[in-house]
Amino acid sequence: MKPRYIIGIIVIIAGLGFAAYSLNSSKIEYTNLSSAEATGRKVQVKGVWVKEKGADYNNTSNIFSFTMKDDSQKEVKVLFQGARPNNFEIAESIVVKGRFEGGEFHASEVLTKCPSKYEGNVDQLKQSGS
Amino acid sequence: MFGQILIHLLFGGSLACLTSYILALKGYKQYIPIARNIYRVLAGGMLLTFCLLMATVISHSFEYTYVWSYSSKELPPWYLVASGYAGQEGSFMLWTLWVCLIGVVLLPYLKKRSWEAEVMVFYSLILVFLFLLLVVKNPFSFVWETFAKDGIPIGFAPPNGRGLNPLLHNIWITIHPPILFTGFAAMSVPFAFAMGAMIKREYQSWIEIALPWTLYGTAILGFGIMLGGFWAYETLGWGGFWGWDPVENSSLIPWLVSVGLVHTMLVQRKTGGLVKTNIILAVTAFILVLYSTFLTRSGVLGDTSVHSFVDPGKFAFILLIAFMITFAILGYGFVMYRRKDIGNKQDNFSPKSREFTLAIGSAFILGSAIIVFIGTSWPLIAEIVGLPKIAIDPSFYNKMHLPLAIMIMFVNALSLLIRWKATSYSGVLKKSLYPLTLTVAATATSYWIGVHDLKYLLLAFGAWFSLFINAELALKIIRNKFSSAGAYISHVGVAMLMIGIVFTARYSIVDHVQLVQGVTTKALGYNFTFIGREQIEKEYKDREKFKFHIIVEKDGNVNNVAPILYWHDFNKRQSAYKEPGIAWAVAKDVYISPNSIQTIGGAPEITLSKGQTITLPNDSSIRMTFVTFDMSNMRNGGGADGTIRPGAVITVDTKGIKKTDTLYSTISMATMEGTSEPYTINGTSQNISFLKINANKESLQQSEAVFSFTDSSKPIAPLKEVIGVEISIKPFINFVWFGVIAMVGGFFVAIIKYRKKAKRTKTMIPVSPTQIEVQV
Repeated sequence: MKPRYIIGIIVIIAGLGFAAYSLNSSKIEYTNLSSAEATGRKVQVKGVWVKEKGADYNNTSNIFSFTMKDDSQKEVKVLFQGARPNNFEIAESIVVKGRFEGGEFHASEVLTKCPSKYEGNVDQLKQSGS
Repeated sequence: MFGQILIHLLFGGSLACLTSYILALKGYKQYIPIARNIYRVLAGGMLLTFCLLMATVISHSFEYTYVWSYSSKELPPWYLVASGYAGQEGSFMLWTLWVCLIGVVLLPYLKKRSWEAEVMVFYSLILVFLFLLLVVKNPFSFVWETFAKDGIPIGFAPPNGRGLNPLLHNIWITIHPPILFTGFAAMSVPFAFAMGAMIKREYQSWIEIALPWTLYGTAILGFGIMLGGFWAYETLGWGGFWGWDPVENSSLIPWLVSVGLVHTMLVQRKTGGLVKTNIILAVTAFILVLYSTFLTRSGVLGDTSVHSFVDPGKFAFILLIAFMITFAILGYGFVMYRRKDIGNKQDNFSPKSREFTLAIGSAFILGSAIIVFIGTSWPLIAEIVGLPKIAIDPSFYNKMHLPLAIMIMFVNALSLLIRWKATSYSGVLKKSLYPLTLTVAATATSYWIGVHDLKYLLLAFGAWFSLFINAELALKIIRNKFSSAGAYISHVGVAMLMIGIVFTARYSIVDHVQLVQGVTTKALGYNFTFIGREQIEKEYKDREKFKFHIIVEKDGNVNNVAPILYWHDFNKRQSAYKEPGIAWAVAKDVYISPNSIQTIGGAPEITLSKGQTITLPNDSSIRMTFVTFDMSNMRNGGGADGTIRPGAVITVDTKGIKKTDTLYSTISMATMEGTSEPYTINGTSQNISFLKINANKESLQQSEAVFSFTDSSKPIAPLKEVIGVEISIKPFINFVWFGVIAMVGGFFVAIIKYRKKAKRTKTMIPVSPTQIEVQV
């Protein structure tokens, strides 16, 4: 085997090793609120906005807050540094990325699943144009 | 109906085309003209079908599910056109159309070089799959077919469609997808060439003729990706141009591979080496296009990406996988089958040669492709093998790319300085002396501006070095022979892009401020003055859209920036959609994202529930209690003029003297807006008005009353608007756009050059020593 192959293989292994290491350190688990609270790690949680409890954007602190409910029906107050995300009210579900701090969920990202991504359903069809 | 039949016919036609080319390859040469004619009919038919789809969209034929789902009568013409390919089915139509049309140009090109059957057999196989996808996801389904189970009567035509998401209402939705899909479609060509080369067993000559096509596909795909980034920055207000979102990544991966391919093709063209690499890369780039399609269309990214498409249904899902796997097996299987034939020439390039640096450069670019591939695919792999569901943080890509980017910059700088075969180091050093001086100066300036992190400083150094060296070479060459300057222009572009990335990604500064109308606010070294709002697009009744004019001033330099907020029927106007405003400048952009709008001043308003007591906002010595509503005036159900006159009973406590009275408001039943008669508290200048009722439908007892308070002795504070904005200063962001444009421009210059060469070498097929070696 030629030295350049050996060097090549070493470089590739080192590269993949580094990749595996940083992949592991930058993975964000999908989980529910209970386990997010228990671990305190940065996670992603899918849920819905609890409309009755409102949503508020505080323009001095630049924090958007709302109450979210996950699949296991657990509710939590979410604080997001930034403006109200587009299509927030009509989102069918919400994915928040962040971690628990002091009983509240501090989100670094709020993804809204907009119904435009979903095909229309029959109810919408019947209501069309009305 | 007609559209559905057409699509089925086209699918049949593509099968016939494929069969004819297979027969031609089996030696029945008489089938070639037949296949060619079928192909022409196919392309014409596809164009017709696409026009038909556009016609259904433009004529608002909402009886078609697709038209109903993605458009509406209110859409302006350009967005109406875009809605023709904004949805899942329409975008497959567009992709197929481009593949068909590119083939129309490809066909005579191949015919002239006698490569037709070998290449077209694979090209038509691609079309077979695309038409099959259209048969399954066809945009001509009627609503009563789509919702057959729900008892929608045949012939039902909804009066209006669902409309297009307002976030997509800008010119980029019309431009970005067609360009991106041209890139996707063009990537079929190098694949078909590589496969054809294996059939023909001509592993050298295909490079020359496939090169212009590979350049074309790479250029267009790169341009399309950049337009997506520009869209995100300029209109969607994501603040940046790249978020390492899986959908963005999925189109970046095939692009990176094809950039690598362009370089290794150049190496083979000159040296005859890297034969297998090129075939494998050409196959891989296309399979990655299919992988990208699978990722974005199958719905698998539903929870991880901002912009993936809807779940297309089980059959289409399986078809997308089958599409990808079939071509992967076909491509890699064929390479395995031919591996001995292709040969294994030892590519012993001198480290001082251009072929060596190009090969290394390609390896780095492929390294980047692998990183993005792993990061994008890992969540899927984890889910398949049963690990917990995860997402990858964008920091992964940044971390991994930093060392790679530094190396790519140095190779980007040196590769064009070094000659083919061999160069002496002293010559390289001599030539790079002048650019090196500039680089040191530019790097020192970067440090002074704020790039203190060593790794980023190194990256900046590499990028500046690469920029100056290539700029110097490009200038020399443009003067002598323009058509040869492509590579240099592209390399300048890459260097600019990297400088743009380093500065914007790492050294943008952000502040969040409230701008009160007419008041100048200082932030980040600039003066911001919010002047007022201006309504735009008044002709559309489905929206209320406003420009918020802000004057940005620094050192006498004045810019008018207008971020936009609009309320749209799409979300029932519940909250505003936002678009940023940008003060463009070469060195840095001032980027203003609107976050909120509110009004201050006027008479203070307070909402009270029954029994609640407050002190007056203008005089804290007076207390007031809202007792109850007095509806006695409303028993008759409102006046003849369409108004009602509810009353609010209040008790006022002025320094211990209590007085109870009733305040009335006249409320229009049509608008629910009220006019009130102000009530003056005896012996004071304080007035109270009962404005309206905040009705609680569930419990009338819990309804609230809204009061406003004025002081006759003081003027009312004027009404002012306050816009909450996030301001960021983005240094060198324009280097990103100019860089990509230069890079793409360079590719097009190179196409001219290699297109000419591909013509010239038509009869001169070089017989390389490799082929002789392996064929004896």
